[in-house]
Amino acid sequence: MDLMPIAEALKASSLSEWMRGSLRALPVIESIHVMAVAVVFGTIAIIDLRLLGLRDASRPFTRVFRELLPYTWAAFGVAAVTGVLMFLPNATTYVVNTAFGLKLASLALAGVNMAVFEFTLLRSVAAWDTANPVPARARAAGAVSLLIWTAVIVFGRWIGFTKGYDFSVPKEIDFDFLGTLLQSVGPHLRG
Amino acid sequence: MVHGFAQWLQSTRLSVTIQSVDWIIPTVQSIHIVTIALVFGSLLTIALRVLGRVRTDQPLPAVLERFVPWIRNGILVLAATGLVLIVGEPVRELMSLSFWVKMGLLACGIVSAAAFCRSVERRPAGGDPGPTTAAKWGAVATVVLWLLIIFLGRAIAYDVEVWGPLSLSPRA
Repeated sequence: MDLMPIAEALKASSLSEWMRGSLRALPVIESIHVMAVAVVFGTIAIIDLRLLGLRDASRPFTRVFRELLPYTWAAFGVAAVTGVLMFLPNATTYVVNTAFGLKLASLALAGVNMAVFEFTLLRSVAAWDTANPVPARARAAGAVSLLIWTAVIVFGRWIGFTKGYDFSVPKEIDFDFLGTLLQSVGPHLRG
Repeated sequence: MVHGFAQWLQSTRLSVTIQSVDWIIPTVQSIHIVTIALVFGSLLTIALRVLGRVRTDQPLPAVLERFVPWIRNGILVLAATGLVLIVGEPVRELMSLSFWVKMGLLACGIVSAAAFCRSVERRPAGGDPGPTTAAKWGAVATVVLWLLIIFLGRAIAYDVEVWGPLSLSPRA
């Protein structure tokens, strides 16, 4: 599907025009985006560390999960709105930006991971709420979540470094080191 | 004077190396952001506990025991990665009003956090009357302070746009 006509329409929207017309709009909105990202990742990490049994092992999982999730979602809403505002004035370049695509794919994966967790493992949470270690699949969900959300941040930051290079990841920046990193970290996450 | 220092730093071999390897700055920035998220998440949880919103099943000292090491170690990682970013892009960082305001707020943030921890430690065990009104305002102020620190960290890249004529940037 060709996204370019849609991107061009979005770029021509009045909201996009307002973003481009204001000197301060982009920096202010981008800074708010980072504040929101900090809350999203910071709260999710606390939940994931409980799943992994690394922290808060003595607290019921549902307490850790339910008390933080409203803050995660509120911050995610702010991140999404500011993210869309940042996207609009750059829409045509973002849709062909590899780092942006990878970030959206990571966000989708995070959503799938969370949905699977909620609809399968969380249904049976009564059986393992106070357990440590929690079932292996729940631990895996926690590890996967941490990795994916880290990827979201890394790719998000990478967008800013690929804009100046014909708006795609330049050849001289390779992602091989990410593969090497995963290979070296991977074995320690098992168990 | 600062400009001269920044230009000298930019010409050092270490700085030139950081500048010449494309992935160093974005990677270090990514680590910096992941770490600030972990630090802020910890700080926010302590603040929400003081406000009685989360972890009311845990005594405050237990909450501090869980999160203070993350804040302390996180700040060390932030300082180390921040230093790499300064050495790699000295003019962009040091010639930025956001950077210096951020450093000022950071000093306040660290001092107030340390003072808060000390006041909790000094309280008598048992018969805990719960956080005082002052502690609650302190919690809110700390969260706002660290949000500003995060905001200014990102704003460093846009000194002219954000500060206009006040900007320290040579672009101004």
